[in-house]
Amino acid sequence: MTTEPLILGIETSCDETGVAVVEGFGVRSSVLSSQTEAHARFGGVVPEVAARAHVEALRPLVHLALARAGVHSDDLDGIAVTQGPGLAGALMVGFSFAKALAWSLGKPFIGIDHMEGHLVAPRLEDADYAPPAIVLLASGGHSQIVHVRAWGDYEVLGETIDDAAGEAFDKLARFMGLGYPGGPAIDVASDGGDPDAIRYPRALRDRPFDFSFSGLKTSVVTSLQKAKEAGDVPPLPDVAASIQEAIVDVLVDKTFNAVEHTGAGAVAGGGGVLANRRLRARLDEEAAARGVDLHLPTPALCTDNGAMIAGAATIHLRAGRTTEWHADVRPGQRLDG
Amino acid sequence: MKALAIETATAASSVALGEDGEVAAMALRVDRRGHVEFLVPAIDFCFTRAGWTPDDLDLVAVDVGPGPFTGIRAGISAAQGIAAAVGVPIVTTSSLTVLALRAATGHRQIWPVVDVRRGEVATAPFRPVPGGVVRDGATEVVTPGGLRALIDSRPTEALVVGDWRALPDSVFSGIHGTKMGRPRYPAADVMLEIAAMRAQQQDFATPEEVRPLYLREPDTAINWSDFREEGMWPGAAS
Ligand SMILES: [Zn+2]
Repeated sequence: MTTEPLILGIETSCDETGVAVVEGFGVRSSVLSSQTEAHARFGGVVPEVAARAHVEALRPLVHLALARAGVHSDDLDGIAVTQGPGLAGALMVGFSFAKALAWSLGKPFIGIDHMEGHLVAPRLEDADYAPPAIVLLASGGHSQIVHVRAWGDYEVLGETIDDAAGEAFDKLARFMGLGYPGGPAIDVASDGGDPDAIRYPRALRDRPFDFSFSGLKTSVVTSLQKAKEAGDVPPLPDVAASIQEAIVDVLVDKTFNAVEHTGAGAVAGGGGVLANRRLRARLDEEAAARGVDLHLPTPALCTDNGAMIAGAATIHLRAGRTTEWHADVRPGQRLDG
Repeated sequence: MKALAIETATAASSVALGEDGEVAAMALRVDRRGHVEFLVPAIDFCFTRAGWTPDDLDLVAVDVGPGPFTGIRAGISAAQGIAAAVGVPIVTTSSLTVLALRAATGHRQIWPVVDVRRGEVATAPFRPVPGGVVRDGATEVVTPGGLRALIDSRPTEALVVGDWRALPDSVFSGIHGTKMGRPRYPAADVMLEIAAMRAQQQDFATPEEVRPLYLREPDTAINWSDFREEGMWPGAAS
């Protein structure tokens, strides 16, 4: 007999509707309805489109997640949901649903910080992953370096001062006509390209843990426009590989700055950008060179999902922390706020 | 037939519990942003007041608008959460019908108005009939000037209900015989009557009907004007 809590996790903070059943840190089921295609024609996430899709997808996904886990709602020990940060209208759909469901079932209700979900995600696949660790969180909506001192004890060491890493990929891919989402598009376009072909700027060298991607964006756009005027546009694979290298360089540098600063023996990652093959390879090289353990979730657990929310709730439920019935979403919530 | 009704289509939020249309408990609050905060504590209050448990429910009724989508989605999501937990059907109502039903007396054409933001209101004409109201024309989203033209286009004297206070006075001045009246906001107790009727006819909502009434296309503006639409390598898009 297990004594691990059985938790339903719901994630609706951005453009993925995710629902999962997790037992402790073990995933019993995890289902997802991605809206990537719905947003692709706009080249980014449209809040109203996202909220509409969550309303349609959520209830069927909850039934599916419970069915796949072979769990009846009466057996659950808690209902967890993303409370923030995220798009207000999107968060509200999951939060209102989860709260009403928990109340009706008479189960504990746990509002979870989306970023904490990402911090916990590697643990769902890898029991060796444990604090203290440095976690690189990078997606279309966020870029942070977090020091996980213990479960529930997080310090944000650095973050982007302008665009998120995924946003930089999206905007540059859009500029180059590569489609959406930009990260995978640039990843694919970089095949066979030379990452050292063009030296784009790496910003904020003087701030060890913070990121900035607007300089890179401007540099790419200006240099390509000039090249086009001169009739000498460099090959796409070289440009894509060089852009990717510039973004990856910054993410990897800052991550290992944080490792050195804290002396943490483990590095992990989360967010859609962590699905990037070049970033994963570079993190792997650097971790190996320094003798640091690396815990990168599979791409499905890097992107937003319900399992990471339920996993984070395991920590809170074990500590006896639940959320009040009158709680509201917190679109601007900060992990250490 | 025990029902829970949830109404969040305007600046007001309300929930009501009732049996066969009779109100057993109700809670209401006016707070444009407070729907999510309000709903579950209000539902909890009503169940305590009525001495019911969620398992007593036969039905959940929810208002799908028109109105601002954010509030409506909070209500729909809560209704779905409860319906999923206790396994009961959902009945949907329109905020305009709920307003008109409460106002229904006499001979006047009833024009409920609901603020849908961006300087526009949703409205539709209703005719009082014994035991209720009948919608007498299309639901439309109009500017204040458009509302005036709609009302003016019909010979029947008008009764305007809903949040007409948010509109300029000039909208109604000089239209023959037009009166302004209550209620200002739709409320969940009226929904119980509609729910009882629908339940009798087994007229439950399909999953596709449990959606906000979207009278507008989504706002798709993304602030990426600093980038050109045209790519560097024509045909590179995947
Ligand atoms: Zn995320």
